Amino acid sequence: MKRSYVGVISLCLVLFLDIVFMQLLIHQYFFENYLVTLIFMAGNILLFPIAFLIYKKEKDKGAESHAKK
Amino acid sequence: MAGRNNNNPFDQDNYTHNIDRNNERSLDRRGFMKTLVGAAGVFAVASLPWGTLAAKELMGLSDKEYPHKKIVDVKNLPVGESLEFHFPSEHDSAVLIRLEENKYVAYQNACTHLRCPVYWVKEEREMVCPCHHGKFDVQTGAPTAGPPRRPLPEVIVEVKDEAVYAVRVKRYEA
Ligand code: FES
Repeated sequence: MKRSYVGVISLCLVLFLDIVFMQLLIHQYFFENYLVTLIFMAGNILLFPIAFLIYKKEKDKGAESHAKK
Repeated sequence: MAGRNNNNPFDQDNYTHNIDRNNERSLDRRGFMKTLVGAAGVFAVASLPWGTLAAKELMGLSDKEYPHKKIVDVKNLPVGESLEFHFPSEHDSAVLIRLEENKYVAYQNACTHLRCPVYWVKEEREMVCPCHHGKFDVQTGAPTAGPPRRPLPEVIVEVKDEAVYAVRVKRYEA
């Protein structure tokens, strides 16, 4: 039985980045740096497919699948 | 179907105790990852409106000169008093404060914390937000106490022909 935390940890990282981007995005919006706002929005949107890909790649790794086989 | 198993009530005619609640609330690794992906999706969607607003702002309205708007006649606003007005649109409330004989300041008075209206408290010479006791410096609009972190946007005013006019909204200095 081997544990795999890679997926969980990288997804946590992605979510952390999401939160950071969101905060910066809103601040930059109110500071009227609209271009920077757009960049952070793109970042936030890009993080979603990244998260999804990580999930797809990692979902069958880890203790459970080893146990079943 | 052969015979009755030892379960009670037994399986084949168990119509009442057929909900399996074992491990109902356990969250395995995969389920947890699913939740995280969902949260990332929520963040992506939630950032869309801000981006749209920003794009709109970038395309058209970036020229921030609004038509000058008369707020009040000088003789109707004694020194130390304040007055609420709306600028640049009907939905942006703002407050004009006459600090000295010839010194006026004006800010959009939606608190930068959660947008409660900020008031001028004459006795303490401070702008106060009643919601969570945020305070703002009257000279600069910078937050001095409480939850707000960003300064109030300043409205530039002009005195012309014995009346005070709102000219434009100043950019934040980031
Ligand atoms: S809304 Fe003004 S302090 Fe919270």
